[in-house]
Amino acid sequence: MGNVQKPSERRGRGKWISTGTPAFLARLILGAIFIYAAIDKIAHPQAFAEAVYKYQILPEFLINLTAIILPWLELCIALFLILGIWLPGAVFLSNFLLVCFFGALVFNMTRGMDIHCGCFSVSAGGSNHAPMAWYVTRDSLFLVPAFYLFYRIFGFSERHA
Amino acid sequence: MKPSAGNRIVLRTLLQSGAFIFLAIAVGLLTNQLRPDKLSLVSDWSMQSQLAEESGLQDRGMLISMEEAREAFLSKKAFFLDARPKELYEAGHIKGAWNLPSEWADQFFDKVMTEIPMDAMVIAYCDGESCSLSKDLALYLFFRGYDNVRVLVNGWSRWLEAGLPVTKSTDVGAETGGRGENGERAKAE
Repeated sequence: MGNVQKPSERRGRGKWISTGTPAFLARLILGAIFIYAAIDKIAHPQAFAEAVYKYQILPEFLINLTAIILPWLELCIALFLILGIWLPGAVFLSNFLLVCFFGALVFNMTRGMDIHCGCFSVSAGGSNHAPMAWYVTRDSLFLVPAFYLFYRIFGFSERHA
Repeated sequence: MKPSAGNRIVLRTLLQSGAFIFLAIAVGLLTNQLRPDKLSLVSDWSMQSQLAEESGLQDRGMLISMEEAREAFLSKKAFFLDARPKELYEAGHIKGAWNLPSEWADQFFDKVMTEIPMDAMVIAYCDGESCSLSKDLALYLFFRGYDNVRVLVNGWSRWLEAGLPVTKSTDVGAETGGRGENGERAKAE
């Protein structure tokens, strides 16, 4: 495995690169998730802007800017995660974004809003789309590799500081 | 004094995060400028603006105020259409309203709209300030030839707040695309 390091390499820049197969797989999974998410948003900016609007969380002046910039941020993070470069920044931002997305979903679910239409719904079932509960479960699964990498990057360095 | 390892990683993380964000802003803005379907940096996301843009009727508002909707209801001048899914409609709707969920508009169009004249005032509503169902339904009807179709934004919540007549559908005739109550006329009465 190309990213496996000898203990002697865990100094300077090298120590930021997580070691072992689990961390490598976590980086690949997280990177693939972010690439998949980013490509569709980059291809359809108007649709993504409407999706952001329907969350009813951001102020109006930030909706289009978010739709323009966020997908590229996701793509940058994904590429750097996969390549194993600048991992502290990539892991921190990926965790930050996933926690924000998760929080937005839960927030809308608790206030009974269906994010597909931006409308209120009596249940988490939404309309004829996948239920909101499914999205919450899916996003919580995305957090698993993200939290693992966060622990590997930041937990590791504190213990060895 | 050299920074500790903890401080170094915090500093490194912040610098790298800043670089990612800067890169994303630069690439995002640049590619947006270059693409034919570019987004304006700031848009008017009001329902009126969305309706005007999507219908092509810049000079005509498709929105209806609560006061106008109330008048239309009391004077029986309008047909009310609930654009929400069947379950929500059954849980409660404007008295006399029909259920035509925007997602099923094509399928149930004939069933619901045959009794509604093309020149009649039709008021579509759903629930929530950003709810797109009533807008989608209104645009669909507009492009099917209903010229006098209006949208009551956040209609269900506002109707409840105003204390205007509502009803539930617990009996026959409440299927999707059906009337609100058995034997109830579509037009507000």
